[in-house]
Amino acid sequence: MPDLLGYAAVQTLNALSFSALLLLNGLGLSVVLSLMNFVNLTHGAFFLLGSYVGIFWLGSGAPWWLAFPAAFLASGLVGAVLERFPFRQFYAQPHLMQVLLTYGLSLIFADLMRWGFGAQILTPELPETLQGVVFILDMPFPIFRLFLIGAGVALGLALWLLLDRTVWGAVLRAAVSDRGIVETLGIDTRRVLTLVLVLSAGLGGLSGALGAGMLAAYPGLDEEVLLLALVTVVVGGLGSFGGTVAGALVVGFALTFSKVWFPEFANLAAFAVLVLLLMLRPSGLVAPPLRRI
Amino acid sequence: MTRAVLAAALLAVVTAVLADDFLLRFLAEILLLGIAVMSLDLLIGFGGLVSLGHAALFGGAAYAAAIAARAWGGDVLLMLGAGIATGTLLAAAMGVVILRSGQLFLLILTLLTGQMVWEVAFHWRDVTGGADGLRGLPALSFGPWALPGAQPLFLLAVLLAILAWLVARSYVAAPIGRALVGTREQPIRMSALGYSLFAVRFRALLLAGAIAGAAGALYPFVNLYVGPQSVHWTQSAAMVIMLVIGGIGSLWGGFLGAAVYLGIQTYLSAWTDRWQLCVGLVFVLTVLLLPNGIAGGMRRWRGGAE
Repeated sequence: MPDLLGYAAVQTLNALSFSALLLLNGLGLSVVLSLMNFVNLTHGAFFLLGSYVGIFWLGSGAPWWLAFPAAFLASGLVGAVLERFPFRQFYAQPHLMQVLLTYGLSLIFADLMRWGFGAQILTPELPETLQGVVFILDMPFPIFRLFLIGAGVALGLALWLLLDRTVWGAVLRAAVSDRGIVETLGIDTRRVLTLVLVLSAGLGGLSGALGAGMLAAYPGLDEEVLLLALVTVVVGGLGSFGGTVAGALVVGFALTFSKVWFPEFANLAAFAVLVLLLMLRPSGLVAPPLRRI
Repeated sequence: MTRAVLAAALLAVVTAVLADDFLLRFLAEILLLGIAVMSLDLLIGFGGLVSLGHAALFGGAAYAAAIAARAWGGDVLLMLGAGIATGTLLAAAMGVVILRSGQLFLLILTLLTGQMVWEVAFHWRDVTGGADGLRGLPALSFGPWALPGAQPLFLLAVLLAILAWLVARSYVAAPIGRALVGTREQPIRMSALGYSLFAVRFRALLLAGAIAGAAGALYPFVNLYVGPQSVHWTQSAAMVIMLVIGGIGSLWGGFLGAAVYLGIQTYLSAWTDRWQLCVGLVFVLTVLLLPNGIAGGMRRWRGGAE
C-alpha cells in the first residue's frame, strides 16, 4: 500500500510548484492589466519565447543560471519594441480593441516561432544541480520543482517589494491614478509605462525559461499558458497582488488535484471549480476597492 | 430588401449549376461559418458581450446533428431541430453562468464554459469519438427525397443564411434588439428604465445560440466529418477574427470575414505553410487600419463618394 501521507505531500508540492509558475506568469500579465488597464494577450508568446531561449541557452553550455536572465532580456526586448508600436496607441482604447490587437499579434508570433524553432517538442537539458530527486516521506520528488517553488516565492516577493515598497513603485501607482499630476512633477510617464511593459514581458520570458523544465516547449504552449495566466488573474481578482497569489494557488491546486482524482476528466472538473468560484465571487477572490466612480 | 434576397437566391442557383463540387462545399462552409459569425455579432457588436465560447454552441450543435444523423438518418428538419435545440440549450446554460459578470470576467467565463464543452467532446469517446471525431455520416435527406452531393448542401446553406439574416435583422430592428444596444451603451440607465439587463442579454444569447446551432447542424455535412477542433476555443477565436475582418456591428460583415479567413486558410495554405502568419497580419492590419472591418470601410468609402 502506498504511503498515503507521502503521496499527499508530493501532490501538494506538485501543486505548489505549478502554482509558483502560474504566479510568476500571472504577475506579468496582471501588472500590465491592473496598473495600465491594458489586456495583453501576447503574454503567452513572451512565455514561449522565454522557454525557447532558456532551452537553447541550457543546451549551449554557457553558465546555466544565466539562462533565466537571458530569457528575461529577450522577452523584455520584444516587449519594448512592441510597446513603441503598436501597444502605445491602444492604451486608451477599449478592452475589446486591445484584446483583438494583441491576439492578432500573438498569432503572428506563434507562427514565427513555429517557423524559427520547429514544430517538435523541445525539452531543456537541466544542469546537474537541478537534476535528480529528493525523497520526501519516502516518495521521490524532482529537485527542479523545489527550485521552481523557491524561485516563484523569491521573485514574487521581490516584485511585491518593488511595486509596493519603493519610490519607483509609488511613481508607477501614482502615474496610473493621475497621470497629469505625475507629469507636472517632471516625471516622464511614458517611460514609466514602457518600463512596466518591459518588466511584464520579461517576467513572461523568465517564467517561460523556468517552466520549460516542467512543461517543455512546443507550438501551442503559448495559448495554453496564456489561458492559464488569464484565468489565474481573473479568478484572483484584478488589481491586487494578493489576488494573483490567491488565483495562482487556486488554479494550481485545482488543476493538480483534479488530475489525481479524475484523471480522465481532469480539466473539466478543474474548470467547473473555477467557474463556480467566479459565479460565487464575480469580481474574483480578492476584489480591490473601486478606484473610479 | 426583397430584391436583394431574390438577387442572392438567383446568384446562388446559377452558382450551384456552374461551380464544381469542391467550390460548392467551400462556399457552403463560408456561408455556415458566416451565419455563426453573424450570430456572434449579435452578442459582440450589438450587446457588447465579447464571447470566446461561441464555437461551443456551433460545434456542440454540429456534434448533436452528427450523432442524430448516425442514429436516425440525415433528415434536414431533424438536423436543424437537433442543432437549434442544442445551440439554444448550451446558450442557456452558458448564459446562466456568464451573464452576472461583465467585460474581462465574461470573456474568461465564456472561455471556461466553452472549453468544458470541448473537454466533453474530446474525452467522451463512446459518444463523440474523442480525438477522432465522427465520420460515416449518412447523406442529407428531406422527407422521402435524398439530397446527395454538394449542390443541395450549398443551396440549403444559402437558404439558411438568408433566413438567419432576416431573423437577425428583424431582431436588431425590434424593440428588444434596441434594448440590447441600450444595455451595451447605458446599462445603468436601462436598469433605471425598468429593463432587466439579464433578461435582455439572456434572450440575445438564446437567439445567437439558436442561429449558431442551425448553422452548426449542417456543418458536419460539408466534410462529412465533425471533430473536437470545431468546439475548441481557437475556433471561437477564429470566429472573432472573421467578425473583426468583416466588420463588427454589420450583420453581413460576418460572411465577408468568413470568406477572407477561409480563403486564406484554403488557398494560401496550398503554397505556403505560413498561412497563420498571413491571417495574423491581415487581422492586425484590419484592427489598426479598418477598426470597423471591411463592411465599415465599404460604408465609409460609399459615404465619401456620395
